[in-house]
Amino acid sequence: MTPEPLNRLIAQLARLPGIGEKTAQRLAFYILRAPPQYARDLSQALQEVVEKVRLCARCFSLTDQELCGFCLDARRDDRILCVVEGLADLMAVERTREFKGRYHVLHGVLSPLEGVGPDQLRIKELLARLEPGRVEEVIVATNPDVEGEATALYLTRLLKPMGLKVTRIAQGVPMGGDLEYADQATLARALSARREL
Amino acid sequence: MRLLRLRYSDFRNLADVELAPSEHATIAVGQNGQGKTNLLEGLFFLVTLKPLRASRLQELVRFGAERARVAGTFLLGGAEREIAVEVSGGLRQAYVDGKRASSLEEYFGGVAVVAFTPDDLDVVKGGPEGRRQFLDRAVFNRFPAYLRESRAYGRALKGRNRLLKDHVAPDYLESWDVTLSQTGARLWTRRRALLTELAPRAVAAFAAIGRTVDPAAYTYAPAHLDDVDFQSAAEPALARALHEALVRRRARDLERGFTSVGPHADDLEIRLGERLARTYASQGQQRALILGWKIAEIENLHAALGFLPLLLLDDVSSELDPERNAYLMDYLAASGAQTFLTTTDAALVEKAASADTVWYRVVGGTCTVEARGEGPASG
Ligand SMILES: Nc1ncnc2c1ncn2[C@@H]1O[C@H](COP(=O)(O)OP(=O)(O)O)[C@@H](O)[C@H]1O
Ligand SMILES: [Mg+2]
Ligand SMILES: [Zn+2]
Repeated sequence: MTPEPLNRLIAQLARLPGIGEKTAQRLAFYILRAPPQYARDLSQALQEVVEKVRLCARCFSLTDQELCGFCLDARRDDRILCVVEGLADLMAVERTREFKGRYHVLHGVLSPLEGVGPDQLRIKELLARLEPGRVEEVIVATNPDVEGEATALYLTRLLKPMGLKVTRIAQGVPMGGDLEYADQATLARALSARREL
Repeated sequence: MRLLRLRYSDFRNLADVELAPSEHATIAVGQNGQGKTNLLEGLFFLVTLKPLRASRLQELVRFGAERARVAGTFLLGGAEREIAVEVSGGLRQAYVDGKRASSLEEYFGGVAVVAFTPDDLDVVKGGPEGRRQFLDRAVFNRFPAYLRESRAYGRALKGRNRLLKDHVAPDYLESWDVTLSQTGARLWTRRRALLTELAPRAVAAFAAIGRTVDPAAYTYAPAHLDDVDFQSAAEPALARALHEALVRRRARDLERGFTSVGPHADDLEIRLGERLARTYASQGQQRALILGWKIAEIENLHAALGFLPLLLLDDVSSELDPERNAYLMDYLAASGAQTFLTTTDAALVEKAASADTVWYRVVGGTCTVEARGEGPASG
């Protein structure tokens, strides 16, 4: 019988995505064998991340302040806004170093089968921040799958009447693939070949 | 392309079976319920990732086992490649040379299969759904990307049907209509392209089978398409036409809670002379129409891919009349294709066999090579 505190740790670790029972065990043993300071640092990091990190009030990416680094960075271009499904996609676009505008994170895509409608996404907030005259172009960088395309179309119908230029990243990204997993070259190409909707 | 070895582990009732097929015909003989169809199904699944019979993936796993696996060693462009597929927990995973296949195109490149089962023989007289599946199998064989494309369409369709039932805001529904039209237009162009290649060959093959004066006709044209010529319209025009049809029928679709127009609602029309084969042709003629199509598929793949597909024939001979069966067996023997046949009665398929035929006896999920003398043994 393994001690209960160890079982509890393994059970918690096994809930992480991509971590199976065996890996959880390995991680738990590692933590147990490491100097005790490691466990203290780890638990403090865990505590802090949930206490301090929250969504940026403007673009809904992550920050430990009111606004995130992308929103505060004065060198970034206010006239162009890139809309992404999630944080991993934002990071993927950012890694290309091709994009110097601002972001907006939807936190999902329209998905009738999963019960996600417009009200479950940060769409109202997107519309609210598009004061006329400030933003000129919105790049819709949702994934090129069924839900991502439909979400892009939905946004286009809302944004175009506001006099904005709406573009969609080109299909360099494999159809049905995840933006998150696309390699940087593909993504960079897709960004530079974006088309108007 | 040539299949050199095939191994089944816990696939249906095949706990551990290894086959060393012939370059030409490999024939599995056995009584009913022994595992002959399972052998073909395993090979079909390996090459297409789709079950041969409508079933849930988990049913492919041998009762009481955790995972099913089928692995084949192919000679592709002079190199030996192993492709494998595993099913466990209701999911499938494909492997190429031991590594997880990251894209389906990578997996499917270079291999193709045409299967012919007794179910196919009822396609002419059955409902449109069976004919669509029959058609789609040929499309997928010809255009591997079709698997992904038809999945995308299926997802868009399910999504729209849900939105119809939920009576969502028009803007929201509209975004789905456009997406559905785009994915649907892709399926239309794929099916159209397949028919353009295949129909003339099928008509010729049907005529060669003989015994019917009236010519066969195989046509595919979507219903409810106004103002657009399906045969010549470009894909964006088809997408617009589908979108218009969806909009026209929106009130009715909303009322019924499902989408009434699109590739999922179309039919493959098979005619004999001027008349629908479904109501007019005899059973023998209906089966010859399917046989003509299958032969056309083989020849078309050969022309398009530059190699012959693997041919799987599951107990078909017992369902064909003697003359049409003889025609098919002669065709197979002359085709030079790598062929897998099953039968309860060896006499029915003798004409497809030659000196290099490998005969297996299938009993209770096991296969043993059966030596045959100079000539094939009688039934
Ligand atoms: N998942 C499974 N596990 C074990 N046996 C199975 C499974 N699925 C089907 N079978 C068995 O396979 C046999 C049918 O095999 P099949 O290949 O259809 O026979 P035939 O030789 O008539 O073509 C039946 O005995 C059935 O019980
Ligand atoms: Mg059978
Ligand atoms: Zn921000």
